[in-house]
Amino acid sequence: MILPAADELLAPVMAIDGFRLACLIDGSTGMVLATREFRENRDGPALPTAAAGAADVINALTLLNGRLATGENLEDVMVTFSDSFFMVRPVGLDQQILLLVIADRQRTNLAMAHRSIRDFCASFTS
Amino acid sequence: MSQASKRTRVQRLADSVLPGRAVGGYANLIEARLRKLAATASTGMLPLSGHGDGAIFFRGGQVVYAESTRTPTPARRSVGLAALGLVATDAGPASNGAELVAVPSLDRLFGMLARTEPTIDAVTELLSSESRYAKFRPSDYPAAGQMSPLSIETVLAEVERRHQVLRQLAPVVTADSPVVRFAPRDPPSFQVSASQWTLLVRTGDGSTPRTLAMELGRSVFGTTIEVYRLLALGMLVVPGHAQAITSGQARATTGRGHVVHARPIRRRRRPCLETRPWPIRSARS
Repeated sequence: MILPAADELLAPVMAIDGFRLACLIDGSTGMVLATREFRENRDGPALPTAAAGAADVINALTLLNGRLATGENLEDVMVTFSDSFFMVRPVGLDQQILLLVIADRQRTNLAMAHRSIRDFCASFTS
Repeated sequence: MSQASKRTRVQRLADSVLPGRAVGGYANLIEARLRKLAATASTGMLPLSGHGDGAIFFRGGQVVYAESTRTPTPARRSVGLAALGLVATDAGPASNGAELVAVPSLDRLFGMLARTEPTIDAVTELLSSESRYAKFRPSDYPAAGQMSPLSIETVLAEVERRHQVLRQLAPVVTADSPVVRFAPRDPPSFQVSASQWTLLVRTGDGSTPRTLAMELGRSVFGTTIEVYRLLALGMLVVPGHAQAITSGQARATTGRGHVVHARPIRRRRRPCLETRPWPIRSARS
């Protein structure tokens, strides 16, 4: 990771039930800035793959939004796999920094996780 | 008799004798040199030359700074980022992130990113196949307080990822591909980000992602990706590739089999690009 000291930033997200992995991504380059991983996540998704996938998803949706031209901003993306949730949310309005959280589907309350992620992103002052 | 070609046999021999060295390329050799400097906890500067000149600075075996003549310098970047409103001009000296943890702040996060991105961007440029390194200079190192130390493995992993992305983009656009704005007869509605808007406004005759990045003080890699997105939206075109990119997009989005023919901005300027506020919402005429 590029900013190891920033890892502590992600501590609040680790409180989500079923938490597996979280990282901050530079949306313009896809670079992982900071990451936290659950200690038993050895068999889980690889961080670079997950981060690159999250950046690609945001990129595709940004292009879609650009084509639709509805004047709206992308708020978050939730992807449901058979075993896990992938949640991506821009930190701030300009979508340069993205937060990716991966959580266990069996143990996660999706509404509570969504709320925690929203509150975490809102905790950043400009 | 062996079926392998002479070149392949020479390559295998070189690989077995000199780990990290590859025939016809110096990139692996440079990586091996960087790893050795990290392993010996070296402090100093490793000059590199190739397409552009530059240097990588080490302190205690960690990469603290890098610069290349083909990427913007940090001073220029901070001016550009401040102009975009992405980072405060008085960001102050480098921090270890403790303040960021205490009070999460986007400005501080951007500040840390602004100190790190130039190094990664420069190393990405310096570790091309044409680069060669010179003698390591232990006495030369940058002033403290301006840099964020990075482990060599982190830097090399990120640089390799970026090289892979650039290889994927290469058939469409590279950092040195000239791009021009696209002026369709029947402009569809588009919405772009502030960053993309800035690129569109600055794109002129002979603009390339690299010249735009140098002008705006932004990452060459990031600008290349952003230009690619604008190409996908059909707002920019690469001369010679215009038909292939825009026709596919037009068919996919309109569903009418309608092909929007690309036309360089030099023939007919689209005045709205300089005057309309972000986001762009132009109604179909």
